[in-house]
Amino acid sequence: MSERKVAASRSRGSGGGGGSHMVVDSVSSSGSIRLGRAQPQAPSHRTVFCNDRESNYLAKYLGNSVSTTKYNLFTFLPKGLYEQFRRVANLYFLTISCLSFTPVSPVSPITNVVPLSIVLFVSLVKEAFEDWKRLQNDMTINNSPVDLLQNQRWESVPWKALQVGDIIRVKQDGFFPADLVFLATTNPDGVCYIETANLDGETNLKIRKALEKTWDYVTPERASEFKEEIQCEQPNNSLYTFTGNLITQNQTLPLGPNQILLRGCSLRNTEYIVGAVVFTGHETKVMMNAMNVPSKRSTLEKKLDKVIATLFGVLLSMCLVGAIGSAIFVNERYYYLQLGINVESEQFNPGNRLLVFVLSIFTLITLYSPIIPISLYVSIETIKFIQSAQFINNDLRMYHPETNTPALARTSNLNEELGQVEYIFSDKTGTLTRNLMEFFKCSIGGETYGTGVTEIEVGVANAEDVQKSSAKTRDTGFNFDDARLLSGAWRNEPNPDMCKEFFRCLAICHTVLPEGEETPDKLKYQAASPDEAALVTAAKNFGFFFYRRTPTMVYVRESHVEKMGKVQDVSYEILNVLEFNSTRKRQSVVCRYKDGRLVLYCKGADTVIYERLGGENEEIKNVTRVHMEQYGEAGLRTLCLAYKDLSPDMYESWNEKYIQAKSCLRDREKKLEEVAELIETDLNLIGCTAIEDKLQEGVPSCIETLSKAGLKIWVLTGDKLETAINIAYACKLINNDMKQFIISSETDEIREVENRGDQVEIAQVIKEMVKTELQKYHKEAQTILSVPSGKKLAFLIDGKCLMYALDPSLRSMLLSFCLNCSSVVCCRVSPLQKAQVTRLVRKGANKITLSIGDGANDVGMIQAANIGVGISGLEGMQAVMASDFAIAQFRFLADLLLVHGRWSYLRLCKVVSYFFYKNLTFTLTQFWYTFQTGFSGQRFYDDWCQSLYNVIFTALPVVFVGLLDKDVSAGLSRKYPQLYKEGIDNTFFNWKVVGTLALFSLYQSIVVYNFAVASSTSGLTSSGLMLGHWDISTMAFTCLVITVNLRLLMTCSTVTRWHIISIGGSVLLWFLFIFIYAIVFINKGTFFSIYVLMSTIYFYLMVILVPICALLCDFIYLGFQRWLYPCDYQIVQEVHRHEPDSVGVGLLDIGTQLSPEDERRYAFAMLPRQNSKHTGFAFDSPGYESFFATQQGVVAPQKAWDVVRRASMKPKDNKPQDSEHE
Amino acid sequence: MSNATAPTNSTSTEPMDTSAPARYSKRPKYSRFTQQELPACKPILTPRWVISTFMLVTIVFVPIGIASLFASRDVVEIVDRYDDSCAPSGSRTDKVRFIQSTADKTCNRTLTVPKHMKQPIYVYYQLDNFYQNHRRYVKSRSDQQLRNRNKENDVSTCKPEDTAHGVTIVPCGLVAWSMFNDTFRFSGSNNVQLPVTKRGISWKSDRDHKFGKDVFPKNFQNGSLIGGARLNESIPLSEQEDLIVWMRTAALPTFRKLYGKIEVDLQAGDTINVVMQNNYNTYSFNGKKKLVLSTASWLGGKNNFIGIAYLAVGGLCFVLAIAFTIIYLVKPRRLGDPSYLSWNRNPGGH
Repeated sequence: MSERKVAASRSRGSGGGGGSHMVVDSVSSSGSIRLGRAQPQAPSHRTVFCNDRESNYLAKYLGNSVSTTKYNLFTFLPKGLYEQFRRVANLYFLTISCLSFTPVSPVSPITNVVPLSIVLFVSLVKEAFEDWKRLQNDMTINNSPVDLLQNQRWESVPWKALQVGDIIRVKQDGFFPADLVFLATTNPDGVCYIETANLDGETNLKIRKALEKTWDYVTPERASEFKEEIQCEQPNNSLYTFTGNLITQNQTLPLGPNQILLRGCSLRNTEYIVGAVVFTGHETKVMMNAMNVPSKRSTLEKKLDKVIATLFGVLLSMCLVGAIGSAIFVNERYYYLQLGINVESEQFNPGNRLLVFVLSIFTLITLYSPIIPISLYVSIETIKFIQSAQFINNDLRMYHPETNTPALARTSNLNEELGQVEYIFSDKTGTLTRNLMEFFKCSIGGETYGTGVTEIEVGVANAEDVQKSSAKTRDTGFNFDDARLLSGAWRNEPNPDMCKEFFRCLAICHTVLPEGEETPDKLKYQAASPDEAALVTAAKNFGFFFYRRTPTMVYVRESHVEKMGKVQDVSYEILNVLEFNSTRKRQSVVCRYKDGRLVLYCKGADTVIYERLGGENEEIKNVTRVHMEQYGEAGLRTLCLAYKDLSPDMYESWNEKYIQAKSCLRDREKKLEEVAELIETDLNLIGCTAIEDKLQEGVPSCIETLSKAGLKIWVLTGDKLETAINIAYACKLINNDMKQFIISSETDEIREVENRGDQVEIAQVIKEMVKTELQKYHKEAQTILSVPSGKKLAFLIDGKCLMYALDPSLRSMLLSFCLNCSSVVCCRVSPLQKAQVTRLVRKGANKITLSIGDGANDVGMIQAANIGVGISGLEGMQAVMASDFAIAQFRFLADLLLVHGRWSYLRLCKVVSYFFYKNLTFTLTQFWYTFQTGFSGQRFYDDWCQSLYNVIFTALPVVFVGLLDKDVSAGLSRKYPQLYKEGIDNTFFNWKVVGTLALFSLYQSIVVYNFAVASSTSGLTSSGLMLGHWDISTMAFTCLVITVNLRLLMTCSTVTRWHIISIGGSVLLWFLFIFIYAIVFINKGTFFSIYVLMSTIYFYLMVILVPICALLCDFIYLGFQRWLYPCDYQIVQEVHRHEPDSVGVGLLDIGTQLSPEDERRYAFAMLPRQNSKHTGFAFDSPGYESFFATQQGVVAPQKAWDVVRRASMKPKDNKPQDSEHE
Repeated sequence: MSNATAPTNSTSTEPMDTSAPARYSKRPKYSRFTQQELPACKPILTPRWVISTFMLVTIVFVPIGIASLFASRDVVEIVDRYDDSCAPSGSRTDKVRFIQSTADKTCNRTLTVPKHMKQPIYVYYQLDNFYQNHRRYVKSRSDQQLRNRNKENDVSTCKPEDTAHGVTIVPCGLVAWSMFNDTFRFSGSNNVQLPVTKRGISWKSDRDHKFGKDVFPKNFQNGSLIGGARLNESIPLSEQEDLIVWMRTAALPTFRKLYGKIEVDLQAGDTINVVMQNNYNTYSFNGKKKLVLSTASWLGGKNNFIGIAYLAVGGLCFVLAIAFTIIYLVKPRRLGDPSYLSWNRNPGGH
């Protein structure tokens, strides 16, 4: 199943031991979350005839053109309309429009049809525009060129022309246009390198290897002879599996994931490859994986639905009241209405009051229908669309120049949700950290080297300054500056021999593969883990340049060894490589010097190395340990280096055991480990390295800002506990003042049980442990929290324990405990668990959550959260494709949430409340009138006035408010992150707000209506003429339009000229409209009414009186509220009331100036500190294990450096491993 | 350099890849709109503003209110309810029977002028509980027909008074059909007739545009039921001002309509004899009928509402201004005092 696949895919960092528990993991938790479509696992298989279009024609495979559009020319209207009417609001208005064509309607159809048409038109135009963009995108992709084999030549054809069975050529850096079976490559040994960034965000290269049988189909002449048959599975969405057979004349060769090149990946370091197309277009794995991103709705909108439902309830009760009145009213005695005699429409037949009642309900629903604001949704959509397209996407503050990436709002649905987030779930690698390891410091023989200050130590905004000062031209991965070691100066250090061993250890003990020209500048290191590359690069910079590897030898160009300035090429024979894995936590190499010296070099985590050190030189050990703790505190990842001289005899005897173990068929891993233990003893400590896992720029200060804003940040990472803690320290999520609770499965007790291998027992023991720990911690947390100013709490848990903690019986306790903690770190969690944790908080605690991540393993949690944010700019697209917002850097989250989110939330609240208010007021005036008309449902206002009220006279200003209103400037939003809490608490749109608003609305409608009709019984001109119904209604409408527009002005925090123009414009538009309307339509009751009105003084007095009287309550409320119960933003406004808005300034000098507070912080950072107890442990970054091996829970490492041995390896070693839990 | 980290290389502090200078920059263009930095004024509702606003309203409203009240006070109005006294006392059915009979419905009323009434004196009739704004009533008319002779048969909206004996009615519809038909004649204390002018009692726009000069009443009140007034079939609709007044339907069930003008001054204490034909049936629905004589000021007829409203709002604002001042004195708050920020009020409360 897909979820298991994803679950498995994350265990990159977990190593060989991970396989066993993964099975349990995925079985127990599958089904709780779904990612992507369920894929049809058709029993049959597909047979592809290569190079033979006719034969494949019968199978009718899909073409390679893809279409992501929703509509085409013909389906646009029906489908688009259908989509529109799936919305309840639109359906409601359609019903009302239909009703208004019947005789029960008091209003003419235009009243409802016009607004509905406008709304639909705008929506459809938007849909069409979006679909057009998708179409263009598709066309670009479909028309990209690719080389197709035709008539023994490569012909360039567009992607869409490809068919299953075609043989194609893809050149270096090109993308694969379809899923291909890898046949041949220009590389001599049938391998090619691919980058899967588009699929999973991983940028380290993967190796694919063609079957030996097909290696020579490289040239077009040769390739055209390839007419074999490929049998393979049906298209499915599993990115990491493939099963198939290549059927040649006499052989059936298995094809596995190693021979498949997926659409979307790109070719690297290979001139070109030749492949046969097996899946095309929508059947490719990446397209099958294209998730129907579930459309998310914001919490505000859900709340809005409830308000609308309430409004509907109000509408119904109003209708009920009216209808009852109507049924009572109808009476033959009103002879002038001729109700009794000859009633054509049954509605007024006093003889059938029940029918009168029923029909009146319909009448009144039609009459009061504007209570549901029809233009609300389209206005909100417009506002949100502009907010995201113009503001978020164009924000210069969120533009990342290095990667040339602006922020991208992929959906405009969730803008205001950004203003209400309470929990942030963050991935670590690539999100908080750059996944860029730099050699930063080292300690050799008890002496610490390296002068740099980590970004973590520096902390805040000045990070860049410090970096610039030390920025020389240096290699990636090497950020070390200490004259004592560089350019041979180490020879003058007190212990040059130790230094030499240190550098040799770095240069020899690794599994890095050099590539390219053998000069220091041009050579590239191909490493599975960036840690390793950083270490080897460091050796190079120290003058020990590792430049070539053969299956048995390592060549190092050593400088300054014998004397200063001398460069010599030295070769070391590699006798054994004792690999790294997550249980060993170390890696050793046995090598033989030219002079026959046998040395074992070992590097690994401090804990494991210290256990294996020899007895002497306690001082170095202690000093080095202190250094490591310092490094750890600074957020660096440390590795211990050690060596041991071996005597030939001892080595020989050990090597025999080793070879024996290696050829062992059962438990080979375990036996190899045991053998390794024998030789990795009595080591001599050389020193340690400190690698900076570079945080993304500005992460600590961003996190600090966000937590000030009341956001709680949880780190969910696939990394090990040590790394996770390390980064949590680095990001200031955890500090030594916090009470830390740790639930880890890495205890002796559990390890012991695990060694026994009984799955049931393991599960029981862990579960029991988790339960007791959790209960204990929960109690402890309660006591700490009950003390005011008690410690803050931090909680760390690893994936294995989390699995049991997420058990339904413990879940609620876990949740309530976690919610009490300031920081939560979950490490070694699978993508599935990431999603589960997110969902737990989202659903269980009903909080608004945001997930941020960069890789495929974050997709689950990105989709599970209310808001998913992807890190863009790097090449991985999977997370971005699943996300709602994409930003280039974690630090932009502060802008996205505190500025854009907050503003959007405020604005949307204002817009929604205002819509609600203006329509309620309008409808209530109508309602009051019903009482005066014998409940007949006579409309108060003219048809056109009523229909244009929503779409013309009151629509535009509120859109401007939704776009331009800002209570405090962007700078202040960031300066006072606490303001964000108003959004978390939903201060601006809750039932209290709505209730208050409704009361004001009620009051205003009473004022407007009663004032307007109050004088209808007395002559209002000096010539004694009387006003009629339509005159009064025109007057009331004028007052109403002015009132509601002024009311909007009152709620604005800022008034730009657009506010004035739109609000004044709306009122003027009304006058303009009625001036023309009153002349053109002679048959209307409103004919000339405005002129009649304007000939009276009374009218002007009313127009002044009514809005002021109606808004008096609001004004008093605002005055009282601001003075006695000021909101935070109001105080901030007042504090900064004299400051002009900094226009365009903030964009140029962000982060270059230090505030006094930052300077103080920096000074503190430079002070010597108390050591914490933890040390960072490098070498366990995700991606260390090979790409496929861990997918399947099978230890079949395809290490990068294995390539050197490939000649001697048998092809069957590459045989695909069908995982048993598939 | 390691390949594994190569892609992230560009994120380091090194300048952008110079090998591709033509690379399309996605840097958003600066504009005040997109960066949300449009110039704006930021009004803050400070106490000074609140109090000033209230005072301003007071200052503007009170004089207007006083002026309006004075204007209204100058208007002299005589209201006389006559439906009860002009019908035999008794139950409603008696009255209905009376009004529907052919008996003489002449009725005499005597009014006393309380104050000097300057001409023109407007004569209104006021109906009560008469739903001219009932939906069925309002739409039962044909503006087309009233205006245009050629649209005489355009009576589809006029039901049930569209045709009588198969011939279309002009003017059709319930509104016209139920036209008020009481008449009033006035004479002064010495039995001098006080002529009632019927010209200019309707809005000019109605006369000129809504009612046709060449449209004449036809087949009117010829049905089985007679709703109200009959019309002179030789006078075009545009000159039937009673009809025009009646057809401008009222907003509320209580309404006044102009009957005519007396263009003679009346002295205080004068008695006026009114001879009326009490034809119109309001007894069926318990409606009241009143006769109103009124002068007019610049603000129209007697109307205390606007004056009171202005005075009340103005006065209220004055009270509020004082109340707010007191509140600000009792509970002062320095403008922009950061200690009022929620996170300063209860530190660590988050």
